[in-house]
Amino acid sequence: MTGSEEEAKLGARRLARCLQKLGFKVRFSAFRVVNVLAVCSMPFAVHLVDFTKNNRPIASYEPELHPAATYRIKNLKATVQVFSTGSLTVTGPNVQSVASAVEHIYPLLYECQKPRCK
Amino acid sequence: MSSRVCRTCGGSDIDVDQARGSAVCTGCGSVLEDNIIVSEVQFVEGSGGVSSAVGQFVSADGPVKAPLLGSGFHTGVGKESRAQTLQNGKRQIQQLGSQLQLNQHCLDTAFNFFKLVVSKHLTRGRRTEHVIAACLYLVCRTEGTPHMLLDLSDLLQVNVYILGKTFLLLARELCINAPAIDPCLYIPRFAHMLEFGDKNHEVSMTALRLVQRMKRDWMHTGRRPSGLCGAALLVAARMHKFRRSVKDVIGVVKVCQTTLRKRLTEFEDTPTSQLTIDEFMRVDLEQECDPPSFTAGQHKVKMQQLEQELARKLDEVEGEISCYKEEIETELEKSRPKLRGIYAAYAKEMDPEDEDVLSSPSDPEDKEGDDADLQAAAQRLTQDFLCQVIQEEGGRAPQEVETEGAGLPAQGASLASILGNASLGLQESFHTFNLPEPDQNPDEDPSPSGELDLEGIDDQEIDKYILNEKEVEVKTELWTKQNADYLKEQKEKEERITKEKEQGTYKEKKKKYKKREQIEAATAGEAIEKMLERKKISSKINYDVLRDLNQPAGSPASEPPGGAAAAPRKRLSRRRRKAGDANAELSAGATMMTKRFRRLISSTPRKKKAAPQVETAVVTETASEAVPEAPPAAVPGPAPAEAPPPVETEEEEEAAEEDCVSALRLVGDYGCEEEEVF
Repeated sequence: MTGSEEEAKLGARRLARCLQKLGFKVRFSAFRVVNVLAVCSMPFAVHLVDFTKNNRPIASYEPELHPAATYRIKNLKATVQVFSTGSLTVTGPNVQSVASAVEHIYPLLYECQKPRCK
Repeated sequence: MSSRVCRTCGGSDIDVDQARGSAVCTGCGSVLEDNIIVSEVQFVEGSGGVSSAVGQFVSADGPVKAPLLGSGFHTGVGKESRAQTLQNGKRQIQQLGSQLQLNQHCLDTAFNFFKLVVSKHLTRGRRTEHVIAACLYLVCRTEGTPHMLLDLSDLLQVNVYILGKTFLLLARELCINAPAIDPCLYIPRFAHMLEFGDKNHEVSMTALRLVQRMKRDWMHTGRRPSGLCGAALLVAARMHKFRRSVKDVIGVVKVCQTTLRKRLTEFEDTPTSQLTIDEFMRVDLEQECDPPSFTAGQHKVKMQQLEQELARKLDEVEGEISCYKEEIETELEKSRPKLRGIYAAYAKEMDPEDEDVLSSPSDPEDKEGDDADLQAAAQRLTQDFLCQVIQEEGGRAPQEVETEGAGLPAQGASLASILGNASLGLQESFHTFNLPEPDQNPDEDPSPSGELDLEGIDDQEIDKYILNEKEVEVKTELWTKQNADYLKEQKEKEERITKEKEQGTYKEKKKKYKKREQIEAATAGEAIEKMLERKKISSKINYDVLRDLNQPAGSPASEPPGGAAAAPRKRLSRRRRKAGDANAELSAGATMMTKRFRRLISSTPRKKKAAPQVETAVVTETASEAVPEAPPAAVPGPAPAEAPPPVETEEEEEAAEEDCVSALRLVGDYGCEEEEVF
């Protein structure tokens, strides 16, 4: 999905064009996507306590502070926040790493899923 | 005691007598050691017959207050700092821990954590109290005490998230896996605070059961345990006929009303809430529920799906809408003119339902007027009916809807395929749009010069974003109104600065330190001189008088400089580095004067040979007499050969050079010779 990075650049250029039209001197160089944030949702709920226990110390869960369990993938440099409803937010340096992070974490979540009862 | 072998017989059976302090071989009887240092407690008789043990108390933390502080100072410097840190930390831990009523074992463990943290240099850049609090909380978690991070933050008056950040970091660095918080831990503590008296235990047990039930119902993941406890305790209290209002509970549990109410509502939604009190105590339902937020999300998604499918299903339903539509159609058929080729084909071949489907999702291109009217009317009627149906559907129980929903997907699929065909064109265009993008090199910078690449930017669209004149005015007004306070502050500040500037009291807030030039000096003396020159000159010198020395004034002029010179002389003596070095002293004396003097000195030619002559001649105080005697050539003698060329404004008349110089000589000489006098 490299299209989104291109779109970001396009958006930045449009903004620069806006400024240019307003009369400011514009220089557009070294555009770089630094961080990508993505959300996705699992079709099942996740048992966070088990998930954290299985994945110590990579995962950390502190209910007093934040409702989600944080899972940091070192080699991808991506962070996944898992909520008990099964939604995830993934942040990473580029779109590729975010996609791989989701693939990486899916089996781990699948193990600790909460079966739907209704 | 090491098992040694006897030197004489080689036997290894050695008897060590602690009392006598001797080691004897039992084989041959030879004494191996005598006067072994013994570690016996000795007693000494004090005055009045009181016997006391000999020795002194030593701290368990190590030789912090080493008795050899005087002699062992240098070696102790490095260790002292670390020991001091640890000591300080220990004290703070004790203080904070006692407020939390932690036992000594916990405090010791916390101190051990702290020692680990310090050795890993994690205290750098963090407040000690944060680190202490994190260590204590770590202990609380590992021991399972009912202390919350909120308690610690209450005590320290620090934001709980900041403490949490430090705590998480420490836990990660120390590789300590703190077990997850169990809300059951907090129940006894909160129950105690709510004062249930005799029935405390029973209420606690009920509340525990409730919490466990909540856990099974998935209400506890992602939530603060204190909120759950609060709800459980409230219900338990009511069950045992205690009157505890929501306010009491939230005061103890430290959550807000909204949270508590929400928990109660969620619990209400679970099937367990339908049981009576007795049933609850006896029976435990098998069924488990989904987490409430999950259920809410699912519900929303379901509703959306339902709406969509109903919209499509609409076409199948025989209703007023179809009749109306057909009627309208027949009417229009009669009245409207012949359609263009393509639309005629559409109207005849496709089903009315598909036409509807096509018209609503895909963007209706500019159709003919009548056609548009027809579509609009149909759509409006469709929507009305939709709303009605949805309301009815929403009223029904979810199960029913679901069964209907099962039947819907089949129809939905067929419609979707038709829809898919129609929108395929749209998708294709989208794909073609996407394809060229990846072909480009994303990292390629089209213009390394920084020029803005206008490719792909729609100028007209950009123009729309920019506000026109009128809008700009309105926005400016709005903004100024909003930020009036800030603008006022800035204005006042400006006024204040200008006023102070006029008064001359304006102090530049930002002190820009100019980089100092490196002092280039050949000798130490010269370096000192230069340094003193750059440094601030003393306030004890009467500069006016010094300046007047330039004038060819007689002895009266010399007296004040003599007096004035007394002060620098004294200081000179104090500042002296090499007592015997006349030149250095003179130079130092020279630097005590203003820069002007030194300039005069340095401007004259330098000759060292006349130095002794000058010194003998300058014994007398009167400058005037000394002045004519001393040849100008000899003047620079006392002054160092390497007097610095000071940089300053223009000098007074060069003619008075001699006077100044001699005065300086005086000063310089007095510095070196008259020292004993003062």
